[in-house]
Amino acid sequence: MSATTATAPQSGHSLWQEARRRLRRNRLAMACLWIIGIYTALALYGEGVYRWHQWRDVTPSYQRTDLDKQYLQPSYLRAPFAREQMDWATGETYTVSGWQRWGAGWTRLAQHPLGTDGLGRDVFQRLVQGTRIAYQVGIITSLIAIPLGVLLGCLAGYFGGRTDDFIVWLYSTFAAIPGLLFILAIAMVVGQGLLGVYLGIGLTMWVGLCRLIRGEVIKHRDRPYVAAARALGLSHVRIIFRHILPNVFHVVIVTFTLRFPAAIGTEVFLSFLGIGVQGEPSWGIMISNARLRLWHGVWWEMAFVTAAIFFIVLAFNLLGDALRDALDPRLRTEGEGDHE
Amino acid sequence: MNKAASPLIEVQDLQVHFGSPAQPVRAVDGVSFQIAPGETIALVGESGCGKSVTAMALARLVPEPPARYVGGQILYQGRDVLQQDEDALRAIRGNEISYIFQDPGSSLNPVFRIGYQIAEAIELHRSDVPTRQEVLDLLRWVGMPDPARAARAYPHELSGGMQQRAMIAMALACHPRLLVADEPTTALDVTIQAQMLALLTRLQAELGMAILLITHNLGLVAGIAERMHVMYAGQFVEAGPTEAVLRAPRHPYTRGLLHAVPRLEGTRERLTGIDGMVPHPARLPGGCRFHPRCPMCQTRCEVEAPSAAEVDDTRWSRCHFWSEVPPP
Ligand SMILES: Nc1ncnc2c1ncn2[C@@H]1O[C@H](COP(=O)(O)OP(=O)(O)O)[C@@H](O)[C@H]1O
Ligand SMILES: [Mg+2]
Repeated sequence: MSATTATAPQSGHSLWQEARRRLRRNRLAMACLWIIGIYTALALYGEGVYRWHQWRDVTPSYQRTDLDKQYLQPSYLRAPFAREQMDWATGETYTVSGWQRWGAGWTRLAQHPLGTDGLGRDVFQRLVQGTRIAYQVGIITSLIAIPLGVLLGCLAGYFGGRTDDFIVWLYSTFAAIPGLLFILAIAMVVGQGLLGVYLGIGLTMWVGLCRLIRGEVIKHRDRPYVAAARALGLSHVRIIFRHILPNVFHVVIVTFTLRFPAAIGTEVFLSFLGIGVQGEPSWGIMISNARLRLWHGVWWEMAFVTAAIFFIVLAFNLLGDALRDALDPRLRTEGEGDHE
Repeated sequence: MNKAASPLIEVQDLQVHFGSPAQPVRAVDGVSFQIAPGETIALVGESGCGKSVTAMALARLVPEPPARYVGGQILYQGRDVLQQDEDALRAIRGNEISYIFQDPGSSLNPVFRIGYQIAEAIELHRSDVPTRQEVLDLLRWVGMPDPARAARAYPHELSGGMQQRAMIAMALACHPRLLVADEPTTALDVTIQAQMLALLTRLQAELGMAILLITHNLGLVAGIAERMHVMYAGQFVEAGPTEAVLRAPRHPYTRGLLHAVPRLEGTRERLTGIDGMVPHPARLPGGCRFHPRCPMCQTRCEVEAPSAAEVDDTRWSRCHFWSEVPPP
């Protein structure tokens, strides 16, 4: 009886829907999604701020030097609601009284919530810009690496033979070059700055994806559904991209989720070394600046940047693992019908 | 009998090899047959005899890097399939020559709904997008109980029989003139096997198409095929009208296959299959390819490969001693 109910036509749940349901039940993965959502919102906000200042043609607050405000602590540590307040410009103290104390206190709490750096620039705004740059790097390198890896992986896996030999040779060559050296070499060719970072990371990132996709496509190309599609008269291109690719697409999603934070990490590292982003508040540049006064007790810039990097990398990696479990093809066909 | 009528497809001395040219694996080694329009013929033999390779070769579907079409011709309506380019072949596949396979569950793409896959099969050989109604009509035509629901379902949500009906709907979407059914019922329950054969017979009558039925179950061919070919180790060993061959086989291999069919009347009777296994096509024995397993083997069989001997004007056998094969 149960066998017949399990195989009878049901409501048409796709395997993707099953995966989504499996993911929803995973609390940790949902928490990661929330964290990633917050970062994404910050990045979009940062993009808005950046664009707005560009359009108005003014120096944005996160770039404006104000030596009066050097090394301000995070706002909540500056006793924003206290009676005694210090004027940043003159260094004189003055007393705030009555209800004003509360109203002005909230305003003070919102001013430089994460403190300022050695040039009096707002750490929070710089952190937001760092998020924007990190996302930009993650997305653009993925836009380079994913099409390249998917295309070459599909061709190698499906056609085999010479095509496969050539593509395997190509990615082995790329894989054999130490990643950092490769990126340095590209940075030398195209000059320092984001373009070198995009190309350097993008052109090393496709290798892993290509290898995984090739393996999956090899598994699928001998499946009966491919033979059946050939027998119906479908072309190779249509079989590869409309029939096999949807079956292996989970690999792309999982790889994207795991490579995205890796790309961010590489960008931070490159910018820290000074070959990445120039003149913009990337996280790497912030770390590089923050270390100068760290031992003098200026901990906040370093702490917040490190935390920002830590949580985004953690969230993407945990989500990637959860996605891998949720999309696992071995789990896909198991026990359908019994959750209905 | 109807050999005079021009055949739909005519295979002449087909040879398909795998492996290196130096050490060829002769999966199909000199097979000739023809199928007239609307006719049903059967291809029978154990697993590994080369039935599927023969069938797939008809539309040049054996993947070419491992396989090589070494020799022979496949004349479909007078034109050699093996000489045509990929575009011409794609226009034949699914449109003129269609296939259904053994395992319907894995022959459907797991990530698409049945309705989408059927629409794709219809659309492939014409320019406009099929309507939902056409998809449902097609599903109803192949006897799908609840077409609307089946169209929405994913393959894994259907039973084996329903999956095979969906496959048949896809294969017949463009009204092909030849349907190649490669062990279409092997993966199905016995009760569903009978339904499936009845369905194929009905659809064949409605479309007037020819069927090449591949099976290792002789019980299936009796009711359906007009002629049958028995295949062993890449060659045909016996061919003729189904009734005549089943009543009085003229090759010991055919006789062995007949005995491997479970008999309904004598439930106590032991199955006397054929001892041993089909030789791998890379390690074919000398002489008659069947001689190591043949109960009638004599010294001549070990050295001299038999050629096709005419039994009467409708059938032949590849056995030196065809006249001495005992009745089943
Ligand atoms: N892709 C392949 N690569 C190498 N050899 C193959 C391949 N496909 C089939 N063969 C060979 O062809 C022979 C016949 O296979 P097949 O036609 O599938 O047998 P059947 O359908 O009669 O069970 C097999 O014994 C095998 O050795
Ligand atoms: Mg087979």
